[in-house]
Amino acid sequence: MTLNQVYNGSSIQQVMELLKEYKEDAKIIAGGTDIVVAMREGKLAPKVLIDISKIEDLSEIKVERDSIEIGAGVTYTQLVENGAFGKNLKGLIKACSMVGSPQIRNKGTIGGNIANAAPAADSIPPLIALGARLKIGSTRGYREVLLEDYFQKLKDHGLRNDELLISIGFMKAKDKEILSFSKLGLRKALAISRATISMLIGIDNGIIHNIVVASGSIGKFPMREIEVEKSLLGRSIDEDILDLAVDSLQESMDKRLEGRSTLPYKRRAIVSLLEEALRESNIYRSEVKL
Amino acid sequence: MKKRGVGLGVSFYGTGYGNGFPDVSNAEVQLLEGGKVGIFVGATEVGQGAKTAMIQIGAEALNMDHKDIVLVSEDTSQMMDSGTAAATRQTYNTGNAVKIACENFNKRLFDLAKVELGLNSTAGLVAQDGDIYLGIFPQKRISYKDLSEKYKDDIIRVVGSFTAQTVKMDDETGQGAPYWPYTFNACMVLVEVDTNTGRVELLKAAFAQDVGRAVNPSLVKGQMDGGFAMSLGYTLFEDLALENGVMKNRKFSKYLLPTSMDMIDVENIIIEDPESTAPYGAKGIGEPVTIPIGPAILNAIYDASGVRIFNLPVTPEKLMKALRESEESEAI
Repeated sequence: MTLNQVYNGSSIQQVMELLKEYKEDAKIIAGGTDIVVAMREGKLAPKVLIDISKIEDLSEIKVERDSIEIGAGVTYTQLVENGAFGKNLKGLIKACSMVGSPQIRNKGTIGGNIANAAPAADSIPPLIALGARLKIGSTRGYREVLLEDYFQKLKDHGLRNDELLISIGFMKAKDKEILSFSKLGLRKALAISRATISMLIGIDNGIIHNIVVASGSIGKFPMREIEVEKSLLGRSIDEDILDLAVDSLQESMDKRLEGRSTLPYKRRAIVSLLEEALRESNIYRSEVKL
Repeated sequence: MKKRGVGLGVSFYGTGYGNGFPDVSNAEVQLLEGGKVGIFVGATEVGQGAKTAMIQIGAEALNMDHKDIVLVSEDTSQMMDSGTAAATRQTYNTGNAVKIACENFNKRLFDLAKVELGLNSTAGLVAQDGDIYLGIFPQKRISYKDLSEKYKDDIIRVVGSFTAQTVKMDDETGQGAPYWPYTFNACMVLVEVDTNTGRVELLKAAFAQDVGRAVNPSLVKGQMDGGFAMSLGYTLFEDLALENGVMKNRKFSKYLLPTSMDMIDVENIIIEDPESTAPYGAKGIGEPVTIPIGPAILNAIYDASGVRIFNLPVTPEKLMKALRESEESEAI
């Protein structure tokens, strides 16, 4: 099978009709930072490519009073440079600014990061922590799915071959909530994540009154870390919150990654990631030993 | 926990082929049409700045502007051999050949000037900016341009040759004089080791390199930065991951090179102590700038964490394993 047609998509409707026509023979291309590599390596061989990078409706960040909707074709650079992700959403900005290199961030899209479903996708844990929902469309109609569920049950919730990921939406973090992000990569740029953690934490009078924790690369897919949330919810920030978080995450990892050669390393590495995430949430101070 | 440590690495390095191996560089200098001077030399440019350095050494020896010098290089049909761009030898060895060739060229032009100016000797003649004149009577002068026109049917081309003498080391006793000259350097780094992830981050570095004399300080600092980055790569990142002879990390997403984000601003210190046998004192630094950085980083890791690593690169997983083992042995 060889590529014999490339469509320059002009509208969401047109793309959905093309997908209906070509189904499994077609693939969507946005930035191309993953799919072009996969095609060169022979892992993917679509007959038809549908380029969605010029569709304005997919490239917008819509900021409402309480919510934000990110078009699937929005690039990492666009997101990082958008002023809407102020102080308490900086974890999402940080995650996007640590993807690949400037060239990749200029071309790669949030939608592509989700549709490609790599376990190490950097933008996904913060979006899971924000409770993001995906809007997916086809000529059969539209549906919404929680990002967290999307990866949990990819077979049930994943994109069908006639469907297009349209946007990712979430409620803005409240004033007292802070979204954090920490990443373990083996160098400072162009580093595939070995592990990532994102937390959305709300503090009231020194008590953690709400918390969502999501991880990347420490499971088969990016996921919620419910046990860590339970271990910290209702705790005072004066308690040993880092130890509590570490113990619960290590326990989850021991079950999840049992027998994996990377487990001994990763179960210790997450101590630093949790420390960094809690420090960014302004509830933990760490020390440097000289 | 993050721990900081400081480490020092020092090295000395013999430049040139050495160990008794014949090491000869040749250069030719020719008077060109219009009075420009051509330097024909087989000093291959591989990014180290050989072409710039050879022109600078030539300009100094000829006492003329570099713009009036035409360097012809890397074409074996047009020049004699100057050996390889290897062994940190071009600036010293071939630089010497260029200097000698230029001096021979000046002598040859003085002989011609003597005739043209009706002098009884070449004594007191000065070459400057494409003119030859008598120091005590500067009106007595002739330009290279005029000489090139007068001698256009008789090509003025001279050779300069430099041989570096070294003595093979005695296999039994280890005695000998295997290299000349030697160059010296020292590097100090401050690192931060994350004892949970095994990541080593460079925070600060100072690097001092003896160059004899810096022909071009910007190029010297560029080579020092480049050598530092290469060492940083092989010390902390670059891992072929050979398993039964098969390279596992065979793409650049897995075979990690340091990026510009991983490199830091190094405080480069040029040490100038002119070498008496070198062209204007200049010694080569191509290879030596890659040597002391690795030991400095390893010593800093030891200072920070108490763990000695003897196998490169120091990947996070390798360092974590060593840290775990040292903690376990302490617990016993």
